[in-house]
Amino acid sequence: MFAQVLFSGFALGSIYGLVALGFAVVFKATQVFNFAQGALAVCGAYFAVTAISILGLPFPLAILAMLAASALLGVIIHMTLIQPLSGRSMLAIIMVTIALSIVIRAVIEIIYGPQGRVLSTPLPTGVFIVGDLRMPKLHLTAAATSWVCMAAFGAFFRFTRVGLLMRATADRHEAAMAAGVNVNLMNRLAWAIGSVLAGIGGLFLGQLQIVSTELETIGLLALPAVVIGGLQSIPGAIVGGLLVGMIEQFSSSYISPKSTDIAIYGFLLLILLFRPWGLLGDQETGRV
Amino acid sequence: MTEAPITAVPRRPMAKAWTASRAILAALGIAALIYLPFLLTERAVFGVPLSNGMLLNLGITQINLMLIFMLGALSLNFLTGCAGLISIGHGAFYAVGAMTGAVVGTQWGLPLPVVLVAAALVGALAGVIAGLPSLRVRGLYFVLSTLAAHHIIIFIFQEYQFEFFDVAGVPYTNPALGPMALDTPIRWYFFLLVLVIAVYWGLSNILKSREGRAMRAMHDHELAATAMGADVRILRLKAFALSSAIAAVAGALYAYYLTNATSESFGISFAIQFIAMIIIGGLGSLPGSLFGAAIWLLLPSLISGLAANVGDAPALVRVLLVDNRAQFVQALFGSLVIVLLIFAPGGLPDLSRKLGRLFARERGQ
Repeated sequence: MFAQVLFSGFALGSIYGLVALGFAVVFKATQVFNFAQGALAVCGAYFAVTAISILGLPFPLAILAMLAASALLGVIIHMTLIQPLSGRSMLAIIMVTIALSIVIRAVIEIIYGPQGRVLSTPLPTGVFIVGDLRMPKLHLTAAATSWVCMAAFGAFFRFTRVGLLMRATADRHEAAMAAGVNVNLMNRLAWAIGSVLAGIGGLFLGQLQIVSTELETIGLLALPAVVIGGLQSIPGAIVGGLLVGMIEQFSSSYISPKSTDIAIYGFLLLILLFRPWGLLGDQETGRV
Repeated sequence: MTEAPITAVPRRPMAKAWTASRAILAALGIAALIYLPFLLTERAVFGVPLSNGMLLNLGITQINLMLIFMLGALSLNFLTGCAGLISIGHGAFYAVGAMTGAVVGTQWGLPLPVVLVAAALVGALAGVIAGLPSLRVRGLYFVLSTLAAHHIIIFIFQEYQFEFFDVAGVPYTNPALGPMALDTPIRWYFFLLVLVIAVYWGLSNILKSREGRAMRAMHDHELAATAMGADVRILRLKAFALSSAIAAVAGALYAYYLTNATSESFGISFAIQFIAMIIIGGLGSLPGSLFGAAIWLLLPSLISGLAANVGDAPALVRVLLVDNRAQFVQALFGSLVIVLLIFAPGGLPDLSRKLGRLFARERGQ
């Protein structure tokens, strides 16, 4: 029982960590608290449905198409919605992402209908059994892919020139601008990355369940995840995602399936009250 | 220091003098408000029947719900627009009111006025508790704490509902004001109308009072307000208590009006629609809250009315208006909010002002 719950918590937590990482990249770059991150995950899942089931593309090509579409979506959102609002109040920016998620949801339901869709991919579907532990291959693939993506983006930010420029931009817009960095381009790139990571998360969530707009609520677990981990911290997002996955699975198995929300948000409230900067974040000094 | 006045906000000149034209306008407005419910229930003017289309497909139910939502929009705009505290969990205070109604009204069998007073008290208490994190965290973190509060309140409602009732939800029966039973939509209408006017009047007076001005100052510049002698921590909690008390009363009324409530009625999208309303109507503007709630509640039925008349319109129009009406309305509202946020932060009134100025300039050239 314990090992089983630990395993599914780890697998789901890895996916949440991936979505949360996308969220944290966007937040670090543009200071936008993106309530549409769940909707972006839903978009990724539906892009995959479109490419695989409707267009009938071969799987690798379909994945490439889905990644490209997700990246494009992120760039478009930044250009049309986020850039015009730069420097405006927090409520305006939060609300525009909420409104965006409402629009995305409605448009998807108009195009694809409100019923869910099954996503059929050639990913392995069997189950490994080790002792009492049942490990579905799909969960393993999801976790492995998530960790590869997280490692790849970690390396990208750490070791590449563009990654360095992005970090510089996120740290201080003005200084980066003075040094000749195209700040808008970097921010667009951040939105593309955020959207792609959400899309990959959505692909796996849709694969583990069924593709529908209900995935949005699962994708939105990225919000408590990043805050628990620390808003300004990239490793924090991953740790937060894992923690949220664990809390969800443990509370649903040991307390009751209905208690997952309150367990996650109760923990979030405790973090907010006692360590608002998150587990791995830097303590912000009071701004006047 | 008790007499340190906050003079940062200039006082508006006192109400303009009652000229004859204003008095006539006011009388006409009051007459229209009194006549409206009879028009909508009889669906005829002096015996001449009106079609659904002529009444814009509106019914008295939508008007009554609109009045109930106006209370929520007013209270949220007071909190967010005037005091500057963003709350994503405002819908949860409707749930607090509905829950109080379930305990005091359905289980203990006490009359509606007692229920409403209890809802206001419990709502204020819940508001103070939910506002406590504002003593410690700011901005985004506070927004998240309201989100957490929302989930906790909804969870309590859900546990309560399954403990004492069942999946079908909590029933609310026999609302009455003393001897008068609220059993017809028209009676509800007048009761709600009086309540909305009273809350509106009360809030606008509070905003003009010393504390109200201190609150606006806190919204504009917290440090400056503190320096002027306003205790922003207490002010925040007071604003939260008042706002959530009003929302809880509205929640109890909402539950009684629909005669049933479940924990699912008060999800996060329920809470978000209040934010949308105050953005549409204009942040910080009390009349704007009324306007935003009216648009939010009445536009869907206008669109339904439109859908009844499309007949042999092009396929795309039919797909949008008939087959996917709910989604179409959602997309429309979402886009409206986005457009307003980008082009007219003051809401629809601001947008129409800007457009008017634009047209005037075009014509001038």
